[in-house]
Amino acid sequence: MNISTDFYAHHNKLNRIPPMVKLSWGILTMLFSLLSPSPIIPIIVAVVMSFIIVLIAGIPSRYYLKFISVPFTFGFLTLVLMALFFGVKPSSVGFYWFRVYLDGLHTGFLAFSRIIGGFTCLAFLSLTTPVNEIFKQLEKIKMPRIIIEIALLMYRMIFIFLEEASTMYNAQETRLGYNSIRSSIKSLGLLASNLFIRSWLQGERVYQAMETRCYNGEIPTMKIHETDNKWIILVIAFEITLIIGVYFTRTIKII
Amino acid sequence: MEGFLPWQWCILWYAISLPVIIYGIIRIMKVADELPESKPLLAVSGAFIFILSSLKMPSVTGSCSHPTGNGLGAILFGPWITTVMAAIVLIFQALLLAHGGLTTLGANTFSMGIIGPIFAWLTYKGSIKLNLPISIAVFLAAFLGDIMTYVTTSFQLALAFPTPNLIAAASKFMLIFAYTQVPLGVAEGLLTIVVFENILKLKPDITEKLNLLIRKPTSTR
Repeated sequence: MNISTDFYAHHNKLNRIPPMVKLSWGILTMLFSLLSPSPIIPIIVAVVMSFIIVLIAGIPSRYYLKFISVPFTFGFLTLVLMALFFGVKPSSVGFYWFRVYLDGLHTGFLAFSRIIGGFTCLAFLSLTTPVNEIFKQLEKIKMPRIIIEIALLMYRMIFIFLEEASTMYNAQETRLGYNSIRSSIKSLGLLASNLFIRSWLQGERVYQAMETRCYNGEIPTMKIHETDNKWIILVIAFEITLIIGVYFTRTIKII
Repeated sequence: MEGFLPWQWCILWYAISLPVIIYGIIRIMKVADELPESKPLLAVSGAFIFILSSLKMPSVTGSCSHPTGNGLGAILFGPWITTVMAAIVLIFQALLLAHGGLTTLGANTFSMGIIGPIFAWLTYKGSIKLNLPISIAVFLAAFLGDIMTYVTTSFQLALAFPTPNLIAAASKFMLIFAYTQVPLGVAEGLLTIVVFENILKLKPDITEKLNLLIRKPTSTR
């Protein structure tokens, strides 16, 4: 498992835009793409968001395609399954005992377009805004500080865990720990329990170290952001266009 | 999956999950007030659930199969704290790995963070009452927690797409999940036994601290 999302979130060309602007852009666009009763708006959203991510934020297109490929595959599988199994109006198209259902195809395609629309918005958020900045914004909607603190500590721990887990996994694998199903379960169990114990101890140590250095529930970081106004206007204009688009395309069907 | 559920259902599941999350947050705040050192421990356990539940297996129809890790969480922390942990884990998964999603967060929290842990916890407590060996109690808890999560997910999906009707759609979704989830549930159950027994054997003091975590807030009431 490789989390380079974090790297790109810190190194992209939209870094200086205030996180609140990016957050509201991503989430509002996602909502309108979900609200749209026609597949047109979600597809437009997917295209616009991909354009912003690759060309404006400067995320390498290869990485972006890899990031988005898993949800796209799931979306496509959903489309196929809905068309084949979830419907009542059979069409003439089919093979063997399978029949493509017209209404299944329709809901499937709508679901597919919403999945790609939603996921490109999610990708925009996660590739341009670091997780700790997103969580800091939650403070503005009255999320208790303690939860944000635990979440951010958790985020830090995930990276420590991944490193330790891969070291242990390699050590076990070179000793034939994953040779059979039986030994795999045993090895994985050993790995998980050891990981739990080790990171538990590490968690305690990290906290003690932070306490002795005047940790009071906040890790202050310096961040330079551009002035808000032009970005806010841009977001509002984009979202209004999107609402109008949702209204006018509401009856259009592609399939 | 992001965008899979129609918006009415997203709102409904958010509305159902939110009170439970808020209750869990209140519990965590109480615990953290009394025992400040519990914060890193909660963080560690949350990260642990994240790693476990990131082992995603390809399944189909708008959702996916993976170990949930909530059995272990529920046994160690009780269901309410696990709910909050699961919600945070789900946000991280959406942002870091493009698993799940933000609009479906409410629905996912309900299945993986509320129903799963509650069943796991009740099973665990019940089996202990029945004097079953602890390893069997742990296995059943983890297995049932896992299976119930996916039964709930099937119903959530079927409610959103009730074609031709609710029960038929739910059983179709369950059938699709069953292929990956039953073996996965058994594997998670076995895994949880090994993890649990090792923790008991190697670091029994951890469980004592955990008991403190669970019992402290109730004893002060």
